[in-house]
Amino acid sequence: MRKVDIEKLLREKEVSLKSLSAVVGRGGPFKPLESGTYRIVENLLEDIKADRVQAEHISNIGVLLAHDIAQRAGVPAFFVDPVSVDEFRPIARISGVPELERISLIHTLNVKATAHRAARDLRRSLSDMNLIVAHLGGGISICPIEKGRLIDVNNANEEGPFSPERSGSLPVSSLVKLCYSGKFDYSEMWKRLIGNGGLVAYLGSNDSIEIEKRIEEGDEEAKLVYEAMAYQIAKEIGAMATVLKGKVDVILLTGGLAHSAMLVNWVKERVSFIAPVTVYAGENEMESLAMGALRVLKGEEKANIY
Amino acid sequence: MKSYRILVINPGSTSTKVAVFEDKREILMTSISHTEADLQQFSTISGQHSFRLTFIEEALIKNGFDIKTIDCVVGRGGLLHPVPSGTYRVNEAMFRDLKKGEWGEHAANLGGAIAYHIGQELGIPAYIVDPVVVDELGPVARITGMPELERKSLFHALNQKAVARKTAEDLGKKYEEANLIVVHMGGGISVGAHEKGRVVDVNNAFDGDGPFAPERAGSLPAGQLVELCFSGKYTKEELKKRLVGNAGMVAHLGTNDMRKCKKVMKDGDTRARLIYEAMAYQVAKEIGSCAAVLKGKIDGIILTGGLSYDEAFVNMIRDRTQWIARIFISPGEKEMEAMALGGFRVCRGEDEARVYEFMRIERRHLEVV
Repeated sequence: MRKVDIEKLLREKEVSLKSLSAVVGRGGPFKPLESGTYRIVENLLEDIKADRVQAEHISNIGVLLAHDIAQRAGVPAFFVDPVSVDEFRPIARISGVPELERISLIHTLNVKATAHRAARDLRRSLSDMNLIVAHLGGGISICPIEKGRLIDVNNANEEGPFSPERSGSLPVSSLVKLCYSGKFDYSEMWKRLIGNGGLVAYLGSNDSIEIEKRIEEGDEEAKLVYEAMAYQIAKEIGAMATVLKGKVDVILLTGGLAHSAMLVNWVKERVSFIAPVTVYAGENEMESLAMGALRVLKGEEKANIY
Repeated sequence: MKSYRILVINPGSTSTKVAVFEDKREILMTSISHTEADLQQFSTISGQHSFRLTFIEEALIKNGFDIKTIDCVVGRGGLLHPVPSGTYRVNEAMFRDLKKGEWGEHAANLGGAIAYHIGQELGIPAYIVDPVVVDELGPVARITGMPELERKSLFHALNQKAVARKTAEDLGKKYEEANLIVVHMGGGISVGAHEKGRVVDVNNAFDGDGPFAPERAGSLPAGQLVELCFSGKYTKEELKKRLVGNAGMVAHLGTNDMRKCKKVMKDGDTRARLIYEAMAYQVAKEIGSCAAVLKGKIDGIILTGGLSYDEAFVNMIRDRTQWIARIFISPGEKEMEAMALGGFRVCRGEDEARVYEFMRIERRHLEVV
């Protein structure tokens, strides 16, 4: 169904399949992979169809669509920096309970695209820089990048700062108590971690513009919670700075929340001692995907093998 | 100037440490071991009160001390409601909370209770100093991403405060004017951001927060933990047991003893090396978090507690954090001295003893699991 719609749209906009140089699909939670641009190959399609992926996610069909259209156009198909990018060092995987391993799941596409953009603006190569990228969206990932590699990150689904919709790290014993309290069943608990956690849980809203308005009107609780989020973001950036041993060229704030001057200033106040802070507000997934393919087509980067 | 003789009592889970200080000088230090069989005859910790008191009195006599020459008694502070830092006079309200285990049972509760008992008998004041419930958190530090789970201040306040004061003094500053990060590394690890004399943020080493430690889990991935809770594999009690005392290094390597860990590392155990390095990695990350809390304005980072004797471990942390501030090492913990000094400051009138007030139990927000 989606494929038919896409082809119809291309016809309407008078984009002929023959004029395409490549097709890029969004990558999903595949198996753990190095970051970069990948050619879409048969064994990936088989893995998706056979459910050999970390989670079922709508973005998994991005590569299926890209593959089909590319075949008809006779051009290569790619996916770029999926969430399952894993470049953790072994020490980053360890938690205090052996079977609960820390998992690399990242807003990779925007994190990597923003890093590329900053490197370009600084006229430097990502491969000889250290950065910390804070993706501030509905979920928040804070990622230290060492010479292009994403060596640690808080898994935004279950670690790090709380975010507009997610709870982030929680005190362990208290959480266990809550799980066994009988007040919530399994799926309710999950909703409280992802979707109904963070700002939503306190303020009933994940909309930073509305929350800032409430703060300006004197809502003390909104201010406390919103500032606490900035505080936790700053703490996570501080933590990741030690991962890079303090050798940090720049800290980047990106994602939708980076539009919030109030939040950005709170974070800056606490972390600018580490490195200069640059804001690249918003995210442009479509452009990031296109740029990933372009780097390969132009020969700036080699496509990775899945 | 009058000199003061201070009796210090520090009950641990299987021992009772007793010391006598004359002003700042230690003139007696002794540790009484209790056998498991002896302690098992009591169903509650507070039931051990008279039992341990007898041993303390005997130890003093054996060492030739006349208990009547004591000017004040300082006991280890136990689980109470959250209080600001300082020296507290043990009053009826505190004694009752400690005896009843109102805010949780812990061997340290016996310290304040026994001190009160001796003080009453001799007609001298009894104190506790900086109990684990010292709470000076900033309002933003209390918030988590789930409204019913508040971050709590529960940490190695006695040792943290003592080494922070000492280091500030060495730096030629008042503690109340310095910004310091104190890293207490024992069976649990607490990392505190001391901002001008107040611990405005600290990971709760007792409630699974911060770095994992020789015996404790530290922060865990919340989603996976929820999975574990609902997996049906563990009862609540079983899971609690796994998370407190049986997590961290001991869960990975089967020992909480760093010397054993280092020995197998030396024999080529790469898993042990990985866990050892990961623990240092997480401690460093927690220090980085505290650095952001203090906005990078930090006079010193102090590593203290038993693990800070381990040079290799200290160096791994140094390697990741020395860019933040100068690093000071204060190995071991000087609980007895810290307690004596807290009492001494009050005896000398340099500090005023604080008053512990009864708090209604409905306001309880502290629970040790």
